[in-house]
Amino acid sequence: MVLEEEIPKFTAWIGPAFVTWLFTAALVAVLASALAWLVQSLAYGPLAAGDRVYRGVLTTLADLAGMSPRRIWALARLAIQESLRRNVLVVLGLFAVIVLFAGWFLDPTSVNPGKLYLGFILSATNLLVCLVVLVLSVFSLPADIKAKAIQTVTTKPVRTGEIVLGRMLGFGLVGTALLALMGTVGWAFVVRSVRHDHELVAADMLELKADDGSTSGYEGRTSLARGHRHRVEAGIDGVGRTDTVQGHRHTVRAVDGAGGRTWEVGPPEGLLEARKPLRGTLRFLDRQGKPSTKGISVGAEWSYRQYIEGGSLAAAIWTFDGVGEREFAAGLPLEMIVRVFRTYKGEIEKGIAGSVRVRNPATGLQSDPIYFTAKEFTIDSLLIPRQVGVTTTDGGTRQVDLFRDIVADGRVEVVLQCLEPAQYYGVAQADFYLRRGSGSFAFNYLKSCLGIWFSMLIVTALGVMFSTFLAGPVALLAALSVVLVGQFREFIQRLFESQVTGDSKLVPGGGPIESLYRIVTQTSITLELDPSPAVNAMKALDTVLLAPMRLGAALFPSLSALGTGDFLAGGFDIPFDLLGAHAVETFGYLVAFFLVGAVCLRSREVAA
Amino acid sequence: MHAEPGKIHGTADDEVIVAARNLSKTYRDFWGRSKKVALKPLDLEIRRGEIFGLLGPNGSGKTTTMKLLLGLIFPTSGEALVFGKDATDVSKNERIGYLPEETYLYKFLDAEETLDFYGRLFDMPPEERTRRAEALIAMVGLARDKKRQLKEYSKGMTRRIGIAQALINDPELVLLDEPTSGLDPIGTREMKDLIIDLKKRGKTVIMSSHLLADVEDVCDRIAVLHQGELKELGRVEDLLRVTDVTQIRARGLPPAAVAELRTVLEKHGGAEIEIGNPTTTLEELFLEVVRDTEARPGRRARPTERNA
Ligand SMILES: Nc1ncnc2c1ncn2[C@@H]1O[C@H](COP(=O)(O)OP(=O)(O)O)[C@@H](O)[C@H]1O
Ligand SMILES: [Mg+2]
Repeated sequence: MVLEEEIPKFTAWIGPAFVTWLFTAALVAVLASALAWLVQSLAYGPLAAGDRVYRGVLTTLADLAGMSPRRIWALARLAIQESLRRNVLVVLGLFAVIVLFAGWFLDPTSVNPGKLYLGFILSATNLLVCLVVLVLSVFSLPADIKAKAIQTVTTKPVRTGEIVLGRMLGFGLVGTALLALMGTVGWAFVVRSVRHDHELVAADMLELKADDGSTSGYEGRTSLARGHRHRVEAGIDGVGRTDTVQGHRHTVRAVDGAGGRTWEVGPPEGLLEARKPLRGTLRFLDRQGKPSTKGISVGAEWSYRQYIEGGSLAAAIWTFDGVGEREFAAGLPLEMIVRVFRTYKGEIEKGIAGSVRVRNPATGLQSDPIYFTAKEFTIDSLLIPRQVGVTTTDGGTRQVDLFRDIVADGRVEVVLQCLEPAQYYGVAQADFYLRRGSGSFAFNYLKSCLGIWFSMLIVTALGVMFSTFLAGPVALLAALSVVLVGQFREFIQRLFESQVTGDSKLVPGGGPIESLYRIVTQTSITLELDPSPAVNAMKALDTVLLAPMRLGAALFPSLSALGTGDFLAGGFDIPFDLLGAHAVETFGYLVAFFLVGAVCLRSREVAA
Repeated sequence: MHAEPGKIHGTADDEVIVAARNLSKTYRDFWGRSKKVALKPLDLEIRRGEIFGLLGPNGSGKTTTMKLLLGLIFPTSGEALVFGKDATDVSKNERIGYLPEETYLYKFLDAEETLDFYGRLFDMPPEERTRRAEALIAMVGLARDKKRQLKEYSKGMTRRIGIAQALINDPELVLLDEPTSGLDPIGTREMKDLIIDLKKRGKTVIMSSHLLADVEDVCDRIAVLHQGELKELGRVEDLLRVTDVTQIRARGLPPAAVAELRTVLEKHGGAEIEIGNPTTTLEELFLEVVRDTEARPGRRARPTERNA
């Protein structure tokens, strides 16, 4: 799982976020009033226009104050009835087809089937639910206005805000029901898809002999299930476990019965998990052992991951905070996803040797290295025991206690080095953590569905908002544009910056018109265009075109940023800090969209 | 124009329920250019308990006037006051019922659901809502079809559920835009009886129609609109009283007496004497207005001519 930024503590985030929201809302309100005044001035002259805008603001506020839950609920019920009569439930059939299709073409023998199935099911659910509510919300109000049914409603004591909110609520509830059904079906599908049993018969297990000829353990292979087998090692007591294949392993137990010895293989472990990590901050030592902020970049790889060179003094050092003795009484369970970059092939199967030490950040006391081999595509786990050896000044070793001597005030440093010369380890801050234990996977799934729920609510509100002043198809396009701009908001921000500063390295290829020109003339995007007046005009026009998009990128929600499918599929517990931030962000957007929608509908002669 | 703006009250009986002051409407297109002057400045007062008719040919501004009174559209100039509040004030709608000129309802609901939905928009307990819905459905004669979706309804049935919907809140003021359109003669009769019944129960009714017979039968006062202008305004009898014609009516006169009367009338300069011909009809009045507009464009009924 890629975690580019640290998840801010909710309590630290909420204050500034709220201030930003208020500021933006106030700014939008002021700008909108100014615009309304300008437009009205054209028709009525500046004074009358001012009076109209002022009265408009007052009646809107009175309208909002007069909203009643009873009427909102009546209108929400209507929206639900409308959805049902429009046969929205057909989408469940579509979902069923998709699930069947998934069961048929998703590869159960992939490296991590759990991740694959979860990712697929969640994306399908997300897309379907959002599309349904978008279509429902975008066409409903314009249809009412067109069929004039709105006249019969607005001549009842209905506030415009209630019409907007009632629809948001109604379609939101329809989306919620769909999500609940699809989520449940998806859950059953994923759990069933990854569950499998291996068989292990006595004949598959070989006894291991010690030097003195006594039995020292057992070794063997399980049967083939879902396209894979496991190697098994068991101790003399008949208890053991398999190796990790396709992201999971099983425990194995010998059962001695009347008919002789049989082996029992447990259910897959590690496939559907919700790991709770304690993450640290990462810094580097370069190959001479000097501190550096960066590792080595190995070219094409993405800068998210940085590399340390094997067989040198280069090291990656994580500092963990809040490491409590009670929580980690048995030692520090390290888990790491280490990428391997090979300059020569070596034995691919074997992995690359590395070492880990723990160090006291206050005294500098450092343990002897603990060795491991990093394998690709798996999460390596390593328990740093309670007692670790340190080398004394006279060259001997002594055992020290992790919490008495190494962990200082809950802080500890973990130093990772790659041991094989000319091979590299790729590391990222988030991919090296202390395992705090596991949350419930089911609960994590629910939390992930909550992320989809947030997206769905935002899409609903967005659709309803646009439908208050645009015709259905146009509102649909507008909502889709907002979602798209939000989705690519970082890219648009960078593109705009590159356009304004003229630094084409930031985003090569330029804005929309320049890109089109390059496509038509087949000019490489890295090639600078000769600065002729035509080219300059083109760039200027691009900047003008990009400006509103840049504004949108700053304002619009990014639905993918609300998704937590990565956490779930990657097997990580979704932190409450993140969920809380998403919930509040969603709420902020809902309130904003509602207000804009209510104001737009209010200022419109819907019955003309 | 004589009434003080904003001052609307009176004794319980002639309390002004609806007032238009210099009310006009010009429809504009998206760019604010004026498309159509639908209503020229209008002054009106409608009192509690009366049935007020808006009469005029198609496109004369009846619906526009109603929408202005309902706050559905915003006036270009002037103001519309309902229960003393500005027409755009939503809270007045608690006491208003409105039947649009075509019944704009949700086609995917059935009659019961329709009344239930509109009932929920008012502050009344659920039992009351169900009770009223049932009573109204029975009143408009849709009891057998109450479970059918409105998209299956005929024009007349839709009209009936429309009127039921307008009465769900037991309103004090009922606005009916062309209430008899789409109804058969029996339905029309029933609708008129209903309107008169509403008046008996103390409601104020504003209705529009281009059908003279409707207005003549039920309205206390009428306003005749033509091309967005108020042409006539007053009590129906007054408007129909032809002041320069004297009517003589008697039972049991022998033909000789009639001939004698005729000579007397002739002696006094009476012309075109017709005996046995009562008042003019509304139809004539109506055609008169149209003719008059063509002959003398721009003449309007002055508020001083108001005869209430
Ligand atoms: N929304 C509108 N936009 C432009 N013109 C309109 C609109 N509604 C009505 N009109 C015009 O205003 C005039 C009055 O219409 P209306 O009040 O509906 O008449 P009536 O109800 O008496 O038949 C008509 O000429 C009509 O074409
Ligand atoms: Mg009309």
